[in-house]
Amino acid sequence: MSDDDPPSDAARPADRASADVDPLLRLENLRAGYGETRVLDGVDMTVPRGEIVALVGRNGVGKTTTLRSIMGEVRPTDGRVTYAGEDVTTLGPVETVRRGIGFVPEERRVFPGLTVEENLTVGSYGGGDAANRRSIEDVFDAFENLDRRRDSRGTDLSGGEQQMLAVGRALVAGADLLLLDEPTEGLAPLIVERVADIVREANADGVTVLLVEQNVAAALDLADRVYVLDGGRIVYEGTPEELRADESVMDRYLGVGV
Amino acid sequence: MAAAGALFDQVLNGLTIGMVYVLLAAGLSIVFGVMDVINFAHGEFFALGAYFALSVAIATGPGGFWVALLVAPLLVAVVGAGVERFTVRPLYGRNPLYHILLTFGLVLVIKDVVELVWGPQPYQFAKPPVLRGTVEILGYGYSVYSYFVVGVGLLIAVGTWLALTRTKYGLIIRAGSMDRGMVRNLGIDVDRYYTLVFAFGALLAAVGGVVIAGRQSVSPGMGDSVIIPAFIIVVLGGLGSFRGAVVGGLAVGVVQTLVRSYVPVLEGLVVFLLMIVVLLVRPQGLFGNPEWAGADEGGDLLTVSGGGVFDSTLRRRAGAALVAAFAVVPLLVGLPSYYVNTLAVSIFVWALFALSLDLVMGYAGLVSLGHVLFYGVGAYATVLVVVNLVPSLWVALAVAIAVCTAVAWVVGHLSIRVSGVYFSMITLAFAELFHSAVYKFGWTGGSDGIFGGFDPTYGLVGGPAVRSIELVGDVELFYYVALAAAVGGYLLARRLIRAPFGSVLQAIRESEDRTAFVGYDVTAYKRRAFVVSGGLAGLAGGLSATLTGGVAPEFLAWILSGEVIVMTILGGMGTLYGPMLGAGVYLVVKDVLLSLTNAGSPLLVALGEFWQGALGLLFVAFVIFVPEGLVSLPETVASRIDRRSGGGETIAEDAEVSD
Repeated sequence: MSDDDPPSDAARPADRASADVDPLLRLENLRAGYGETRVLDGVDMTVPRGEIVALVGRNGVGKTTTLRSIMGEVRPTDGRVTYAGEDVTTLGPVETVRRGIGFVPEERRVFPGLTVEENLTVGSYGGGDAANRRSIEDVFDAFENLDRRRDSRGTDLSGGEQQMLAVGRALVAGADLLLLDEPTEGLAPLIVERVADIVREANADGVTVLLVEQNVAAALDLADRVYVLDGGRIVYEGTPEELRADESVMDRYLGVGV
Repeated sequence: MAAAGALFDQVLNGLTIGMVYVLLAAGLSIVFGVMDVINFAHGEFFALGAYFALSVAIATGPGGFWVALLVAPLLVAVVGAGVERFTVRPLYGRNPLYHILLTFGLVLVIKDVVELVWGPQPYQFAKPPVLRGTVEILGYGYSVYSYFVVGVGLLIAVGTWLALTRTKYGLIIRAGSMDRGMVRNLGIDVDRYYTLVFAFGALLAAVGGVVIAGRQSVSPGMGDSVIIPAFIIVVLGGLGSFRGAVVGGLAVGVVQTLVRSYVPVLEGLVVFLLMIVVLLVRPQGLFGNPEWAGADEGGDLLTVSGGGVFDSTLRRRAGAALVAAFAVVPLLVGLPSYYVNTLAVSIFVWALFALSLDLVMGYAGLVSLGHVLFYGVGAYATVLVVVNLVPSLWVALAVAIAVCTAVAWVVGHLSIRVSGVYFSMITLAFAELFHSAVYKFGWTGGSDGIFGGFDPTYGLVGGPAVRSIELVGDVELFYYVALAAAVGGYLLARRLIRAPFGSVLQAIRESEDRTAFVGYDVTAYKRRAFVVSGGLAGLAGGLSATLTGGVAPEFLAWILSGEVIVMTILGGMGTLYGPMLGAGVYLVVKDVLLSLTNAGSPLLVALGEFWQGALGLLFVAFVIFVPEGLVSLPETVASRIDRRSGGGETIAEDAEVSD
């Protein structure tokens, strides 16, 4: 970080954002890493209640680590994570989820040897105090593909079906805030559309969404608000329209020639 | 008809033993699947089941068998829960190796406690009258008890299967065995289930122990005799697979029994051969799924790097001084012959053995559970050459090294293709294969081994006998041969580790994938390390046979593999001198404990008789509290003092990472 430093007025976008929204999730000066390697170098961002927020950036800038820090899979070395007004920085994954944060990890991680229905059942045993909680039958109603494949094993599903199952599982466990890590990764364009619809439907039902994407186009189509991460810090915040119009940011941090 | 009847009788016998195996293997497999814990103490739970049943049955009198069948497994489950809570739990998140080590220590402790409480003598357990006698089917009599065992086993297996597939707990446990981290990510505290799972596994093993007690005598070694077959079954069936444990257990029971009566030559070998073949064809086992073997929470091997508080010059000087002291002191001070020619020589031999293990385990990250293979083969080769070919010690040792490198090359070729726990298990199987094989042949001396006619000499064809040359006082020349071998082995290993070869090995230990991506042939490097290690271990074995004055199948017993791993960890893996130090400390402590049996105070005598247990406890404490071994102690102490006096910087805590 030298001449790549963002202008100083953009350095604390969280403050600017928090003035006029109801923040469900807030990250303040979040720092984290693995062993000696520091990945997050003071991340500030806000996820307003009811919105779909996208966190985009190039490979290796710390997007997944941000989610894992929120989840408590990685313990931040500094900074704060506030969820619904409560400091959840030091909580582990179990406690975090019980407060109403659902997690759909990279590569979906459906339980390979369990059937679709069993995967959802495990989800139904989990979770905690979320206001938004779907029943297994709700999920089957929403995803007719899954309904048809109730008794198929996790390994026998297509990528798109696995994604639906992973999202469904998180919703069954109960999620007021859904964290999605690369939901469109490895999916065919048609399926990407379907997944986007699912995210929109969940959002319309009252679920706030924070999604991490490398697929900038898909993220911008979906999101109400976009953060750009680079070198472990937020370097841009705005609406999708603003970002699309900002060629220099697109080019510099996302490598997307416009 | 009679032949068919006899065959059926054998099959029934096989199924009976097989059911006991199923009970053992199911628990082992579930515990591994859910917690990644390889539990060597599982056989001791089996033994405890039998012993508890014995005491319960005696206490309750008539009908005691039925009470014991219910109560003993529950008691063992309580013991299992305690073991999980207080010893296994602190180690979650570390490499599975540490659980192997921990439970190996527990084996020693539980076995000695059993001997302390019940004594070393075998017991017979009275079956209730209903279960005695035979039933006659088509003119052939079958043991009622066998049917009973098969019935109990079936009932429990079906019950376990229903619990796993039809209950909430079962579903969470199965999900946990596929991806623990994801279960947590759904807000389920999977760790809470670990105690339950571990206790349940112990309970299953204990049921096996109780029912086997009605068939054979109850003795302290009964855990040892089943743990290896149980592991083989788990690996055969697929680690973590309940179905695999059931099919594998029954198959091994039947195959073992049939082979015993129809192909006696292969008795004791067939199971290991079966496992080796299965692992080579299908490394994940019959029902194992490689994709389930979670990539999560591997945990690193805790190796020591650098010299801690002492710099390298200081360490080099200390090492040189130590070697000089070993060389000179016996000549100057009139030490009793035992300390010089026996204790010190065994320390040199085991230091060399531990060093050889450290080359593969501490540097290449290959946890060989069958390293005794090379030690034993080296011992046999040395003795066989001296007895049958030429009496020269030098020739014999050279042959031993050559044979062991060749064996290591072959075993390495076959086993290094499978990784992690499977590598550990396949090396264990190879060692057990050889161990069983030496009983079979005349030229290996069968169970007696070879003691007569082994009189190696210092010449190439003749010359003075090795054990006859005394230098000053009682100090034998052989003392210096062993010392030279240990020092020579160390220098060779150091040369290798400092060469680019060593750097590549350590890179492999840190990350196999990345090393491969850079363009190194990872498998070839590992194999070379394995071959060198095998050669050094063979030399240690040859020297050990010379010290003992012969060789017996005990030279290939798996417990020695355990001991050498203990020494390596005790000293500190990943430094060459650490394991050698560990060997010294281990043998000295063992010697002191053993000598206590001649002490005046009854308390000390009791401690002396409990030496294995005491060593086990010490070791358990080490694995939990000082996993980096003795060599890490100065640094730990220094940093403690540093912190207390307020000097130095606060040590930044590493971010906790779960993968």
